[in-house]
Amino acid sequence: MTTPAVEVRSPARSAAPRLTLGALLATALLLLPFTVSSFWIRIATEVLLWAGLAQSWNIIGGYTGYLSFGHGAFFGLGAYVTGIGMTVLGWPFPAGLAVSGVLAAALAAAIGYPTLRLRGAYFAIATWAFGEMLRQVATVLEVTGGAFGMRLPPFLNLPFFYYITLGTSTLVYVTTYLLLERSPFGYKLLAIREHEEAAEMVGVNTVGVKINAFALSAFFPGVLGGIYAYWLTYIHPDSVLGGIITDLMVVMVFLGGMGTFWGPLLGAFLVQLVSRSLWLVWGESTLYLVIIGAAICIVVLFMPGGIVGLLEGRRAPLLAPRAAWRWWRERVRW
Amino acid sequence: MKPVRWWAICWFVGVLALVTVGAAGLVAAQQSAEYKVGVVTSLSGELAFGGNVTKRGYDLWADTLNKAGGILIGGKRYKVRLIYADDQSTPATAAVAGERLITQEKVDFILGPYASGTTLALAPITEKYRVPHITGSAESPLIWKGKFKYTFGTIPTVTIIAQASIQTLAQDVTPKPQTLAILGIDDAFSKFAAEAFRTAAQRFGIKVLRFDIVPEGSDYTPAVSAAKALNPDIFAMGSHEKAAIEMIKAAKELKFNPKAFVQHYGMTTPDFRKGLGKDAEYVFGTSVWTPNLNYQAKILFKTPREYAAAFKARFGSDPDYTEAASTAAGIAFQEALRAINAAPPLTQAQKDALIGALERLDLMTFYGPIRFATSGDYYHDNAGLQPIALQYQGGVTVEVGPGKLRLKAPKYPTPPWDKR
Amino acid sequence: MELFLQTLIDGALIGGLIIVVGVGFSLCFGVMHIVDFAVGEWVMLGAYAAYWLVRYLGQDPMVYLPLIFALFFAAGWLVYPLIYRAVSGRRHHPALMGLVFTFGLSTLAKGGALSAWGYHVRSVSTWLSGQSVSLGVTTLPALRLAGFVFGVLTTVLFMIFLYGTRLGVSIRATAQDRETAALLGVDVRRVGALVYATYAGLTGMTGVLIGALFSIHAAMGAKYVIFAFFVVVLAGMGYVPGVIVAGLLLGLIQSFVGVYISGRYTLFALFLLMYLSLLVAPRGILRRGL
Repeated sequence: MTTPAVEVRSPARSAAPRLTLGALLATALLLLPFTVSSFWIRIATEVLLWAGLAQSWNIIGGYTGYLSFGHGAFFGLGAYVTGIGMTVLGWPFPAGLAVSGVLAAALAAAIGYPTLRLRGAYFAIATWAFGEMLRQVATVLEVTGGAFGMRLPPFLNLPFFYYITLGTSTLVYVTTYLLLERSPFGYKLLAIREHEEAAEMVGVNTVGVKINAFALSAFFPGVLGGIYAYWLTYIHPDSVLGGIITDLMVVMVFLGGMGTFWGPLLGAFLVQLVSRSLWLVWGESTLYLVIIGAAICIVVLFMPGGIVGLLEGRRAPLLAPRAAWRWWRERVRW
Repeated sequence: MKPVRWWAICWFVGVLALVTVGAAGLVAAQQSAEYKVGVVTSLSGELAFGGNVTKRGYDLWADTLNKAGGILIGGKRYKVRLIYADDQSTPATAAVAGERLITQEKVDFILGPYASGTTLALAPITEKYRVPHITGSAESPLIWKGKFKYTFGTIPTVTIIAQASIQTLAQDVTPKPQTLAILGIDDAFSKFAAEAFRTAAQRFGIKVLRFDIVPEGSDYTPAVSAAKALNPDIFAMGSHEKAAIEMIKAAKELKFNPKAFVQHYGMTTPDFRKGLGKDAEYVFGTSVWTPNLNYQAKILFKTPREYAAAFKARFGSDPDYTEAASTAAGIAFQEALRAINAAPPLTQAQKDALIGALERLDLMTFYGPIRFATSGDYYHDNAGLQPIALQYQGGVTVEVGPGKLRLKAPKYPTPPWDKR
Repeated sequence: MELFLQTLIDGALIGGLIIVVGVGFSLCFGVMHIVDFAVGEWVMLGAYAAYWLVRYLGQDPMVYLPLIFALFFAAGWLVYPLIYRAVSGRRHHPALMGLVFTFGLSTLAKGGALSAWGYHVRSVSTWLSGQSVSLGVTTLPALRLAGFVFGVLTTVLFMIFLYGTRLGVSIRATAQDRETAALLGVDVRRVGALVYATYAGLTGMTGVLIGALFSIHAAMGAKYVIFAFFVVVLAGMGYVPGVIVAGLLLGLIQSFVGVYISGRYTLFALFLLMYLSLLVAPRGILRRGL
């Protein structure tokens, strides 16, 4: 859906404002805990967490075109591994995080090996079944506390969790940018998404590449799950392995724009902030489910490219002030 | 990337900022001479039904108190204002809700959630900001084992309550039942109830033939068939009302007719009665409070009957023990505040003093005695209450034991299905 | 032995109802390549429809089965154009878009039911409720038996329609190869609408029986998504006769694991089996799926 931009600028000229904006954003994010109340730090941490999760899902769902409907499993796995590591085995928190991430990636590779050979819908169902199964395992096992849930030692330092989430989520975006937007690996994934048979014919080891992508997309949710567990201090099979975790990742990526770099960030921002705002002013209703459901349907029906698709679409140039002004002057004469 | 997208992002961020600031403005704090009471409970999500049960209890406390003029501190009366925050039935939102009430709304103290999971996520938050917190409903032993200094509860833990009906069956009926099969649901509350049944059976010399925990929402027919094959005297269900309804339906279909059906919490709810009709008859259950108890109190409501009447006038239905315990949680705060003479807004020193006052509290209310344990496995739980065994007789629940708590004799054994 | 027979019967009887849900779901995937996440919501809405009809018009809920079929057929017919729009057009992954769209529909329906009717658990009872038939040492619950008969009857009628009528042939042709069927003059879009509407009608009707057997609430649909998935994976996507085998198998596994191991391992066993089946026999245990 490319249309000629209203203004044609050289890349060199456009880089400067982009860098400035990036620097401003980074500064704002770094200084945020000093400027807002702890309630808003908590909300911001949630947004960052979801931004990281959504981008992780986007690696396999958006860039590779394989919908994982059990991605919450890796998040829950991370939460439980960190929880068990810290309370039962006495590991320090960073060790718990590292093991969580590695285990999640390893498990993803193990599941991916057989199921990534199957067609898309089968992969979606297999991952979904796997996620539900993991929830059953967590409910049945003794070491996870079963249905009673598990408590972690409380460490109630909000800025700490804000920064560690910010760091991890930034890492997700940097990894995505370097590996998927700017490297041969990314082009291979793109080839698989657009035409898998063709990609295979030109010599791409499709199964291997897909497994790598899936493992990569599972690593970060594992780490973020560990952070989440330590942050909330209480985890339960329904709260970290419930279907809603995966659901939200999918919704955020779809809303933002599948397979785009900025889509998951926009989607996570919008979904999490809007849902928290609705909760603040109008929290006593279940209508938020209706809103989420309707939003998904509308996005699929009318804006399949998500927000990013909309911003890049035909009318998008009107969002820039000078173009909007010109559009206005052409229509309004006085 | 086209340059235009940066403008788009600016727009996007701008709109978001507006939404956020707007929301923040709507919840901006106001100051006045009244107690600001934060309430975190499940107003939406899968626990909304229970969340609204606690809400009604808290509401009745606040309304009755405000109608009477408020809490008398140093010759002046101060009203209370409840500020609700929905926990959406999830621990994560419970934590955000607590954070919001404490740091944005600057509440003086907190009335807690319906469920144990959300309470366990809220407790560390109240601990961190040192804000007193009483839950009128959560009863999981995990909370009390956590030894949270700022968290209290008015309901004795489920592991104590659920034993009463087994005790009644073991001691108050003849011939004494010899065997028992237990079917529990895999959620924290139900599983604790099922384990309490087992403990009680072992204590009173009843043999446990089968102990089965199944996930919520499964088809209970296989489990009921398996229990039927063992022909137990008692069939005990550790579950909420929904699963209990389905289990009893399955039992009827399979013509499984043990000498007694035992349930824990759900049997006192209207849904249970409506869902089963006359099949609810003869089912045993437990409670820590009923309107028929003989407590004499001086604060707000003088007797359980008076409370039940007020509740019925306000909400059109009969109160259950969770509503009563929620109202009692408010009363506990009210009396502790009077004891330390703390007028709103509370300073941190006063909040800490409030904890001491709550620990020293020894109070008689319409709900029964309130005394919070200060040590042991039930740290800060109300240990003063006596659980009561109930049974459906003629469409209402009546107190059948244990021992001298009996108002009517338990009907045992249960007649066949077609004779109810 | 007595318990073994009872377990067998319990399992087979509940399997009958699962088959009906599975047949429509499987065909939906076969014809339109849609994995319908909203399958459980059709069940839930069917149960609620029966509840409200009984509440306001009286009578036994079984009386309303044809009416509910008609209502849900119409609802499916109306929803279909939206799904068609979601899976067609210039989209990257049409089938995946369908998945996400029905996921949105499911959330919408669940949220709507919750907001409109709240969390109260509701029940309907029919003249068969609580009745049972004794057969030797075992007990056959009458309502479950009726559900089983209903399931088998519906499936058989549907199979006759699929294999014996012209329209049925075009449906099967579309399921086998969409493009070729279109080239041969099958109105693929209309066939799709018909299949989706029939599927909605069947599932809604099953919801009435499920609602009478268990209890009615907004979240009751969730497990039928699991069951439907399980059945079509084992049956092989889009292969209708396989659904019968897989549906019965599901009922039996549920029943035997529940009695002889513990109910808590039932879902675990189901998922494990489904997963293994995907690995070993991705085209279903009969190796006839798409």
